[in-house]
Amino acid sequence: MNFDFTEAEQAFAEEVRLFLRANPPETFPIDGMDAGYGSGAHSRAFLRALGAQGWLSMCWPKTHGGREQPMFMKLVLMEELALAGAPFGPLAGCWQTADAIIEFGTERLRREVLPAIARGEATFWQGYSEPDAGSDLLALKTEARRDGDHYVIRGHKIWSSHAGIATYGLVFARTSREARRSRGFSMFVVANGTPGMDIRPIRSLTGEVYHHEVFLDDVRVPADLVLGPAGEGFQALLNGLDADRFWGRFYKAPALGRVLRQLVDYANMTPVRGAPLARDPLVRRRLAAIAADITALRLIFYRTGCLIRDGAPLTYETAMAKVYADETGQKLARLGMDLLGVWGPLREGSRWAKLGGQISHLYLTTLGHTIAGGTAEILRTSVAVRGLGLPSEPKPAAEPRAR
Amino acid sequence: MDFRPSPAQQILISTARAFLRQHCPPELVQRLALDERGFDETLWRRMAELGWPGLLIPLELGGSAGSLLDVILLVEEMGRAGLPGPFVTSAVVATSLLLAAGSPAQQKRLLPTLAAGERVATLALVEESGSFDLDAVTLECAVPGRLTGRKLLVKDAHVADDLVVAVRVGGHASLILVPADRPGIARLPLDAISGEKLFEVTFDGVEVRPDDLLGAVGDGHELLAGALQAGAMARAAEMVGGAQHVLELAVEHAKTRVQGGRPIGGYQAIQHACADLVRDVEASRALLYAAAWKMAEGLPAESDAAQAKAYAGEACLAVARRGHQIFGAISYCEEHPLHLIHKRIQAASVEFGDGQFHLETVARAIGLVSEAPLPPSEATISPRDFPG
Repeated sequence: MNFDFTEAEQAFAEEVRLFLRANPPETFPIDGMDAGYGSGAHSRAFLRALGAQGWLSMCWPKTHGGREQPMFMKLVLMEELALAGAPFGPLAGCWQTADAIIEFGTERLRREVLPAIARGEATFWQGYSEPDAGSDLLALKTEARRDGDHYVIRGHKIWSSHAGIATYGLVFARTSREARRSRGFSMFVVANGTPGMDIRPIRSLTGEVYHHEVFLDDVRVPADLVLGPAGEGFQALLNGLDADRFWGRFYKAPALGRVLRQLVDYANMTPVRGAPLARDPLVRRRLAAIAADITALRLIFYRTGCLIRDGAPLTYETAMAKVYADETGQKLARLGMDLLGVWGPLREGSRWAKLGGQISHLYLTTLGHTIAGGTAEILRTSVAVRGLGLPSEPKPAAEPRAR
Repeated sequence: MDFRPSPAQQILISTARAFLRQHCPPELVQRLALDERGFDETLWRRMAELGWPGLLIPLELGGSAGSLLDVILLVEEMGRAGLPGPFVTSAVVATSLLLAAGSPAQQKRLLPTLAAGERVATLALVEESGSFDLDAVTLECAVPGRLTGRKLLVKDAHVADDLVVAVRVGGHASLILVPADRPGIARLPLDAISGEKLFEVTFDGVEVRPDDLLGAVGDGHELLAGALQAGAMARAAEMVGGAQHVLELAVEHAKTRVQGGRPIGGYQAIQHACADLVRDVEASRALLYAAAWKMAEGLPAESDAAQAKAYAGEACLAVARRGHQIFGAISYCEEHPLHLIHKRIQAASVEFGDGQFHLETVARAIGLVSEAPLPPSEATISPRDFPG
């Protein structure tokens, strides 16, 4: 066992800290809201700055312009960025898409999209969910019809994060009607602005726009912008979701640690009946207990990271880790609102808002975390069935076919 | 970073698992819990043959020079098997104290016999306050002189040959080491649901000689801190092992118990309960290993150890309680193993500092101002203090 970083990892962490001191995160313009996952807000400028450091492509093969750094360097980078509260919102999605393109992308995707990702100029929205295909993703109705050297996509996607400010959509669509429900799907890389694509914002309960719905009305996509073997898209998607759960939540522990430090400062500085709030035994205990949760969460993610690094098979680990991350975030937001009391509901920018109004924002955004990317219920079932080998619940006798 | 036990540690784990499966089956655990003495000398001797009691002791004193992390991995297996007896109290806590504070003469006299399992030692610390904090110790003792008073919740005192007693010498926190059969010492059994053997130990004018001092007068705090931390880690390891056992039993039951025409594990209510068992066990284990690794590496680990103990106490107990719900009525029977594991986890969660005790350590470590807590009248709980 060893719970330390290697010398190279420590040196890289120091390099990232130096970069953040020279380029304070708060000086970068923000283009999209912080959804509270821990990766901060969406900032193209910050993403380009990471690209200029060579950090977006550092783990790619040299043949694709990378430096073949070990995968753990990505963890080091994300942890440092999250600890600093940097706006690296799109980073995980960029890395996942790049990995998929490197693994099974077409020549065109490698030539056109990879370099743009490396420079921090390409970001992606996920076109997976549909109004009638949420947890039951295979019920999706969006279809891609082959027409010569193009596909023509028709359908309706929803809950696509930052779709309005991204450069490409990753659209999951049915390409054939095969007997097996999980076959006949493909993933398409569709440039924003392609004729027939209509992206409409959905205002969220925070009052800001994060999700979009996307109408695809005979959108023509060249056949060499299919990501992954045609018809085998579902397995690629599952792998992608597995990765999503890990890479999309890895930075939650350091980000929550940052919020915890703010709450500790608040408790120390806030007098209640003549003594600091921090002297209330129950406040001390609740903050200490969640500190242990955050430590455990970080370790759970690093353990999973080690399994990924070592090429060990994953069954339940990312599902379990995601649920734990999201429920811990909710717990911390709830605790923060409790500590702030009557000041809790005040928004960022309001007179008298405490801690910059960030806690009420976190409280609201974390509500969505146990729903997005696989609900806590779906994931607990996944832990039980894939991880523990418990039997699946029986499917309805007559399985409805996609219409 | 690497979460895997070393090859040598993997051998230790698999040896322990095989040994305990053979020599410490559930029937024996059940019998010893109900038995007044609750100590199987044959089993203890066999464990000694494997070198377990000497794991922390250096080679030249008859031990096998293992690390605290090795001990933690071994005790996790003991917890999984529900092994009763004085291993933690003697081979971890008392041994750590002797290693930290013993004079060369004391170490040479006692450590080889402890390593060989020929003697057993225990710690007499807690008094009426119920606290594992040395500040709460009031028992005064002159050295040389006579000791009169009592200690409570002394584990395995009935099989102990030596007692490490936390006392005040002229008001200074100190430790003394006395043979358990010295005239004036009496051991009165307490009756605990866990089946663990706890005692009130009374001292009635017991003679204390100059060479009974363990460490210097006034060094008690420093000497005890490391041993209590090791003890807390060992009890956390027991909890993790116990919770792992509950998880395995519950999943097996969920796969085989049929109701409504299918295994109950096919219902989401049971699936989700089982999924939470996995998280609680794995998170507890991760905190435990990381803290024990830091301690074994000599890194500062006070907060890590406190987090691990507090977390395991909460999470592993939740595992045991959820286990009962998954098993249903059968787990209410004495012959079913679950309640024994549950009671052991509960006992482990309070020894060497309960959750409240350790969370206060964490509270200070994360920077909460540490003036004395508000007096009870002012620390009134407002509605917003209640978690949702």
